[in-house]
Amino acid sequence: MTGGPWWRIGWRNLGRNRKRTILTALGLAVGYIAVVFMVGWAEGITVELIENATSLVSGQIEIHDADYRPERSLYDTIGGREGTDVQALLREITVDASVVVAAPRAYAGGLVSSGEATSAGSLMGIDPEREVVLTRFLDPLAAGRLPTAGANELVVGEEMAQQLAVGVGDELVVVASGADGSLANDLYTVAGIYRTGLVEFDASTAVMPITDLQTLVVLDPGRIHEIAVATTDPSAAGETADRLAAALGATDRGIAVAPWPELNPVLAEYVALADSLYWIFIVVIFTIASFGIANTMLMATFERRREFAVMLALGSSPGSIVGSVLYEALAIGFVSLALGAVVTTPLMIWFYTAPPSLEWLYGNVTLQGALLTPTLRVGVNVTAWTWATIGLMLTALVAAFYPAVRAARVPPADTLSGL
Amino acid sequence: MQARVLVMLALRNLRRHLRRTVLTAAAMIAGAVVMVFSFTLDDGSHEQWIDSAVRMGSGHVTVERPEYRVSRRIDDRLPDGVRRAAEQALQSPELALRIAAQSAKLGVTGLASSAAGSRPAQIVAVDPVAEADFGTIDDQVVEGRYLEADDELVACVGVGLAGSLDLELGSRFVVQAQDAEREIAGQLFRVVGIFRSGLPAIDQMMIHVPLATTGEWLGSASDVTNVGVVLEDSAATTQVVEQLERALAEPVARGEARVMGWRESDPTLAAAIAIDALGNYIIQGFLLVIIAFGIVNTVLMSVMHRHREFGVLRALGLSPGQTGIIVLLEGLALALASGLVGVGLGILIMWYFLSDGLDLTAVMEGAEDLTFGGVQVDPVIVPIFGAWRMVQITTFIVGIGCAAAIYPALRAMRIDMTEAMKFDR
Repeated sequence: MTGGPWWRIGWRNLGRNRKRTILTALGLAVGYIAVVFMVGWAEGITVELIENATSLVSGQIEIHDADYRPERSLYDTIGGREGTDVQALLREITVDASVVVAAPRAYAGGLVSSGEATSAGSLMGIDPEREVVLTRFLDPLAAGRLPTAGANELVVGEEMAQQLAVGVGDELVVVASGADGSLANDLYTVAGIYRTGLVEFDASTAVMPITDLQTLVVLDPGRIHEIAVATTDPSAAGETADRLAAALGATDRGIAVAPWPELNPVLAEYVALADSLYWIFIVVIFTIASFGIANTMLMATFERRREFAVMLALGSSPGSIVGSVLYEALAIGFVSLALGAVVTTPLMIWFYTAPPSLEWLYGNVTLQGALLTPTLRVGVNVTAWTWATIGLMLTALVAAFYPAVRAARVPPADTLSGL
Repeated sequence: MQARVLVMLALRNLRRHLRRTVLTAAAMIAGAVVMVFSFTLDDGSHEQWIDSAVRMGSGHVTVERPEYRVSRRIDDRLPDGVRRAAEQALQSPELALRIAAQSAKLGVTGLASSAAGSRPAQIVAVDPVAEADFGTIDDQVVEGRYLEADDELVACVGVGLAGSLDLELGSRFVVQAQDAEREIAGQLFRVVGIFRSGLPAIDQMMIHVPLATTGEWLGSASDVTNVGVVLEDSAATTQVVEQLERALAEPVARGEARVMGWRESDPTLAAAIAIDALGNYIIQGFLLVIIAFGIVNTVLMSVMHRHREFGVLRALGLSPGQTGIIVLLEGLALALASGLVGVGLGILIMWYFLSDGLDLTAVMEGAEDLTFGGVQVDPVIVPIFGAWRMVQITTFIVGIGCAAAIYPALRAMRIDMTEAMKFDR
């Protein structure tokens, strides 16, 4: 006898007042929907933040000279002042199975002038072919095309283009101090304009082929500041970085391999913080919902005082009465879960595959320097959703406990005679 | 007289099933408490974000040339006459009351160089005394001191920039920028202070220098690019913008000046606040719906149980409308009482436990430097109790109580008198 007739009695009682059952179940179901949706939305934000922090401009893993960060000095190139064999190093990195692409980069600071206006900028040297596979900010461009190596071409951010009042095809003078201490300057053509949405970045960064930048600031072709790496799974960036560091013999060569949580520790902390927020959602929502269940079950048991008295008089133990009421609550829980699942599943699939944009409502936001476009995009968090399901069942049971105990305490003789 | 009877009938019924009433009320009270909690903290944190963003930027309200916001060029500085007109308008008694601090600044971009390399920089030339009052950088100096009244040729730089350029207190570095003649001009500065705002973009780019120095260096005399004010209360922004626009109607019409509130000058912050508020409204919306189902259930049950009573009332001459009103009144009374108690309780709890602020330092371990929408998130959130907010929460609760009573009321109106009065229910 597994629960025996008590489960059937509990279930059958739900049918006695269908409207009440549905209303109670709806209350719980809305709680469940709320938790699933809010957790999904928060998760979607987290996923997008990580994506944007690791594929818009930055890589998931970045390799520098051990002394490069945090000062980011022009002289601290990978392999020190002698530089390194860049192609060989890139080949060594891409051997790793989880590495999708690795791209070299060089940086310098300079003044960018259109003659009319001058703006201070960061100069970023890239390998255009590899960069478009690694990051998204140059593909697609807002206007124009990627710069060709050796043709003195560059692309600038939208904000910078506005500040300098230049468009595609216009010329810019770039002044920068070279690694040999000279003041270098040259004339460049604007080949394209990019837009990341990160205003500070778009206002201050000019991008050109890495060889052109090396020529401008007098760095040998073997001297680069950074290798940015994209991997198959951003969440495993830490392990991949460790593996790469071991494979490259990083400590002996004086290079540092850093995954994104190390490059942007605050963002990583935010991700952990968001996880703990899910708990608050779950607890608050179900606490409020539990009042509804307690109330309904209290009414339902009060109405059936006579029935419980008869059951007790016929020899049922108080324990089995408690059981039947708890089973009834459990059954409500199942009904709510079914209702909740029917509503959330299609919505979640919709929001996951084709999230409706909220851009008409708000502009872009940045969190810890990572771009956040406003959409209703949801992410998957199976753990939190499992807890929401467990929470729903627990709420139903806990809220029904007091009514169940009261039902078991009905005095049979008095109730049967007095009513 | 009749209304009184209806109210009495409604109230008596709430009293008759005290446990049921209390449980339903408990859900609403808990809801109201949660709302007070989250709305006051939300309002508090938004006010903190606004305050720190406007003090770091151009103030709640700023007057500048329309082109300056995009170009950031020294060419687009504020004409001297407009600046004086703006400053005069700000001294008028009605505006002066609302203003907490005021600072006129010259902001341009430039290239900061030292032996260690060169970095793009935002050069902000300030009147040290006014800026100390206006901004927060003077409180965020971690080494050395902030600029002082008679300083010349000295700079207070962000900690990130100081690191990049290998600058220490007393170090010298060169800043190159476009001057008023459109030539590139260089200037040597000595570091007197290093600040740490916690905002990477600021710490890596910003340099504060005295306005007197830029006047000579860039040939801009005492010109500024904007006049910004910090208000006592951010809610007055729109009003101050309007008043200033009236005072500066002429230059605005000539296209020489533009008056902007913080929402306009810092759209990222406005979006961050709107998104955060949306999230909060969605959660509260869900809570209200859950509570509503509880109320519908309770009121509906109480209607079902009183079938006979309603039958008798109808037989005694009450119209269907009046029976419906009794049920609505029941919902209204329950919701109003719960809403008031809940809001009161919420305020009490918040005041008792959190009037000094909710300290999330422990939760935010490691994320102390979290920035959102370009401002640093303060781990200590001081709640704000806006009277309007409290009214709003009470209205929500009362509204949901009344809305939830509509269906049961309709049911009560449709009761068949003769059926209801039969003995076996």
